[in-house]
Amino acid sequence: MPLQLEVLSRGVERLAAQASDGAGQQLLEEAQRRLRRVDVEALCTRLRIRDPRFPWLTAVPTDDTMGAAYSVPLPSPPFSVVATDGSNIPPDRHNPVRFYVLNVGRATLTYGSRPDARLKATTHLACEEEELYLNPGREHIPVDGERLGIKMAVAELEALFEAAQEAQPPVLALLDGSLILWGLQSEERSVQAAFLQEYLSALGRFREVDIPLASYISYPGGQDVANSLRVSLCQGHSAQCESCTLPPSEQELCKFLGTVRDREIFSGLLEAGQRSDIFESTSAILDRYGEHRIQFFYLNNGDEILRLEAPQWVMRDGGKRDMVHGLVLDQCKRSGGYPAYPPVLQEAHEQAVISSAERRLVEEMVAQALAARGIVYIHSAKESSKRRRGV
Amino acid sequence: MRIGEIVETGSAGFVAESFELNRPPELGSLVKVETEEGSCVYGVVSYGTTTGLDPGRRAVRRSSEGVYDAAIYREHPQLEQVLRTEFSVVLVGWAADGSIRQHLPPQPPPLHYSVHTCTPLEVRAFSERLLYLRLLLAVSGQLPPEQLLAAHLRQLYQARGRDRAWLERAAREVAGLLKQDVERLLVVLQGIDPGQGT
Repeated sequence: MPLQLEVLSRGVERLAAQASDGAGQQLLEEAQRRLRRVDVEALCTRLRIRDPRFPWLTAVPTDDTMGAAYSVPLPSPPFSVVATDGSNIPPDRHNPVRFYVLNVGRATLTYGSRPDARLKATTHLACEEEELYLNPGREHIPVDGERLGIKMAVAELEALFEAAQEAQPPVLALLDGSLILWGLQSEERSVQAAFLQEYLSALGRFREVDIPLASYISYPGGQDVANSLRVSLCQGHSAQCESCTLPPSEQELCKFLGTVRDREIFSGLLEAGQRSDIFESTSAILDRYGEHRIQFFYLNNGDEILRLEAPQWVMRDGGKRDMVHGLVLDQCKRSGGYPAYPPVLQEAHEQAVISSAERRLVEEMVAQALAARGIVYIHSAKESSKRRRGV
Repeated sequence: MRIGEIVETGSAGFVAESFELNRPPELGSLVKVETEEGSCVYGVVSYGTTTGLDPGRRAVRRSSEGVYDAAIYREHPQLEQVLRTEFSVVLVGWAADGSIRQHLPPQPPPLHYSVHTCTPLEVRAFSERLLYLRLLLAVSGQLPPEQLLAAHLRQLYQARGRDRAWLERAAREVAGLLKQDVERLLVVLQGIDPGQGT
């Protein structure tokens, strides 16, 4: 409760001063010029050997250029877009029984002479051992936190496939967020294997029936392309930046590239409606993705630069890639607000959301069911103190 | 004909969701709810509105150069599912065992029951007596009661096949009810004047 507002107010002033620093704009323009002139072949060679000097996440170009911009004609109906989103009630350690709830929302929108919309949510309460723990009986790893997030990602993908199959073709399947399971990187091999098997199998189903899928990342925080540009600048043979032999202006640019986001670089390069070249992420977990290795491009939808990811079998196929580009732009055009956001993603999210009233309702339902069987629901002392807040 | 389903109910009136988006029943029209075998309650439509299904979601502008009005619903097919049209109804009477009473029914109509339009015969039968008009004037809803009353009388005039004699009888009844308030009386009389294209 007693937040020191006068201290905060001084900090906020410093923050604003830093953000409006003018020198950054010139460096940004220099970075954009460099991106257009990069020797892509040489850069790719350096990136692919994964030099340990560069511990940054980089983006490997898949085209001959890195700073080009591409337009696409807007698609004509009929076509459908489908999306899913998930929400969960995580396991609560203050509860005498362990369970979690997954709610997957889905939206199917069909445009053309016979427009249609199908919105629904599918709820699941997990209380069996096999759902609550990985390798139950052996390592007994609880499904919560990041692992629950990945379980939800798998459920979203499976529901997305169902919805895509039922939709009137041609269909684009869309998700919000990344297709790269970052959360798995810190897990042990057995956990990675278990989740990846389900996730990649779900991706495989889309490939089998030839339905493109992509994921939409608004206000992306990625720096992969900026990092690749840094690699192209670096001339050093040693691992130390302190003994850098580059002239000061180059060093300044290198340092700048360490702080700038890709979306800032591309906002000067892409006109509204244009996409960037296609890049491949070098995230370690992607080595296990096989044929579904994730590639991405940046897109200017008129309001912001967003990042679209898709398996390489979508991005390498001109028709599918253009469908992703064109239909995402079409969705953004139909958005009802600023900045533009695809209605299909918004409706899937609305179906998925679990309100705080609904969370309390689930808790009460469980408490009542337990009470009917003689089990009294006792909160932990800390939890009770938080609720009571007595003086 | 079924036109809606009750989603809120009370002793003085109810709110129903319309089956057709953007088309609640006409303001002032007489509707009924069949409560059990041979019984029903009567009400007058006192308000109509269309909003997001979820109270937290407000409508946003969706029109553009080439897409506006009806085309908006074609280009945004999800709207049919995330919007709803509701209408409010003021209770003005009920019928049971073949007789019509013009005061508040003993029970509010049940939640989730259907709302029906009234046939011209039913309208004629109900509006033969005009005691219930004072119930409409006592309404405190979203519209000034005299506006609601005028709308209702216009509706019934048409439903009764432009029954001039009845309209004059209704006007005299209203004059009696509003003799202390000439301003409000004038609002009603001007609102039901057939010369005004009623």
